[in-house]
Amino acid sequence: MIELIKYEDLIGKEEIEELKIIAQKIKDKKVLHVNSTDKGGGVAEILIRLILLMNSLDIKADWKVIKGNYEFFKFTKKLHNLLHLNINEDIESDEVRIYLKTIYENINEINTEDYDIVFIHDPQAIGLIVKKQKKQKWIWRCHIDTSTPNLKAWNLIELFINSYDAVVFHMPEFIYKGIKIPTYVIPPSIDPLHPKNIPLDQEFIIKTLNKFLIDHEKPILLQVSRFDRLKDPIGVYNAYKLIKNKYDCQLVLLGSFASDDPEGEEVYKEIINQVGDDKNVFILNLPPDSHLEVNAFQRAATIVFQKSIKEGFGLVVSEAMFKQKPVIGGNTGGIRKQIIDGVNGYLVDTYQGAAFRARQLLADKSLREKMGQNAFNFVKHNFLITRHLKDYLTLIYELVNS
Amino acid sequence: MSITFEFKTELWTPTYTQISANTINDFKIAIKSIPLNSLLYHFYINIFNYNLISSIYTNSFADWFYRNGYYSLAEEVAFIDPTEYLDLENLRQDLINILSKYNDDKIMQNAFYFLTIKRNIFFTNLKANTLEEFVNGIKNSSINSIFYHLVMSKLDNKKLINDYSEWLSIQGHFQKAELINKINLDIYVLNLIQVKQLILEILTG
Repeated sequence: MIELIKYEDLIGKEEIEELKIIAQKIKDKKVLHVNSTDKGGGVAEILIRLILLMNSLDIKADWKVIKGNYEFFKFTKKLHNLLHLNINEDIESDEVRIYLKTIYENINEINTEDYDIVFIHDPQAIGLIVKKQKKQKWIWRCHIDTSTPNLKAWNLIELFINSYDAVVFHMPEFIYKGIKIPTYVIPPSIDPLHPKNIPLDQEFIIKTLNKFLIDHEKPILLQVSRFDRLKDPIGVYNAYKLIKNKYDCQLVLLGSFASDDPEGEEVYKEIINQVGDDKNVFILNLPPDSHLEVNAFQRAATIVFQKSIKEGFGLVVSEAMFKQKPVIGGNTGGIRKQIIDGVNGYLVDTYQGAAFRARQLLADKSLREKMGQNAFNFVKHNFLITRHLKDYLTLIYELVNS
Repeated sequence: MSITFEFKTELWTPTYTQISANTINDFKIAIKSIPLNSLLYHFYINIFNYNLISSIYTNSFADWFYRNGYYSLAEEVAFIDPTEYLDLENLRQDLINILSKYNDDKIMQNAFYFLTIKRNIFFTNLKANTLEEFVNGIKNSSINSIFYHLVMSKLDNKKLINDYSEWLSIQGHFQKAELINKINLDIYVLNLIQVKQLILEILTG
């Protein structure tokens, strides 16, 4: 129970007790989570902690990662993009062959038989459903916005989805038609005790900035995201150029390459080419486990951007909000669930909009502080991992009793 | 008379009904057929989850109307206080009556997605036989537990008195029981953390 007690100061003893009560109802159940990467991205980060918390409640929970080669992940990244955006592109037979072959190899590698509840995260491992046994409950946990998918991509995964017992989306807006199984809505979360979110000494923050030759006395505009076109890093750079006319500031675009995202390196190079030799722009590709550094950058930032064009949920928004930062976010997907425009941040549709809001915030410290406080409170009550854990435990309880 | 008060709690996991509305007229059709638990969800979710500042209005229907520019309709719907209903069918009818004055096929900027819930009710480990134990029970109750005893117990039992006040009355604490039942009338405009604090002040005052 050591892990859970550490959350008491934030959420209160009564919430901890409630978690114990529901965990007690399902404590003899074994739970397995399967996804496609153990490093990088919000899914992996939250899974590490959810597993620990479930175990601390005496629920046996494990996490396994499917294996695949470059071709497999190239296709699943394409599938991810096609489900996210209605791009007019075909799915080739050879790609489906590679996908099914890899799933077949993983069937032999990943033991699912010993579990009562199996969560499959995102489309990469969705085909593992062929292993489902009658006594088990399988849940497909979708972390992306599939509201306007490429139909070929959707038709492919729909064949698998309806064999599950339930599907979980972050928000109803992400759900495409045709799902015939119970469709739950559970928003994701951040972990306040993750190294990425724990309080840091000012000394460490300054040391981190110094390491990358960033001036801690000059305003810092920050975006933390994978190097992905859907995160619109070029849009953020364009906004920075407009802001720069009025304010002497720095831009930090911080990301890392994930093993299941072969596009990352390509996009990284694109941004480097765009930026040229601007000494106030820092494009940092950090190892996926640079949690304390990311934390330091978020705490050092004056304003945080998440100017995505399309977004699953964008947990990085909540991470910054939890650190009392006003966030300027793209008016899309889960960012809209986290930012209440003008209350705890701003929602924007263009880089000009992002630049205008940034100027408002740079000009007014009290506005930044007020929005930052609202942001912290909102995340504390809605997007912490303990709420997420409670939702999962309740879902498991419902399914095993249905 | 000594009756043990057993503290319970209630947890929800929302599911999508596969029903959405893009216009006022879509919404009018949908509202007639959605499950009662969908009404429950959309009228209470912001109280149930203690969303401090998540929406302009407490219920998500009014909030959706407001965000799409239907300000008068938003105000009328926001004024429906769900705590005054012991039967959600009556609430549905009042909502339908308000909507009947509106007729519009204009597509909204964002659709409304009707969610519903399955209610899961659990006993907690808290029990009370005395006022002191009862105060301790409230102190250690989550906001979901407070919600269950103040709001859902009335709906479930079709009673005008909430669980807390009923037990306090049986124990002879009539004034405290009455004051807590009055708080209940205002739950729609407070949040449950404030309500919990007010209950504790009444009980210990």
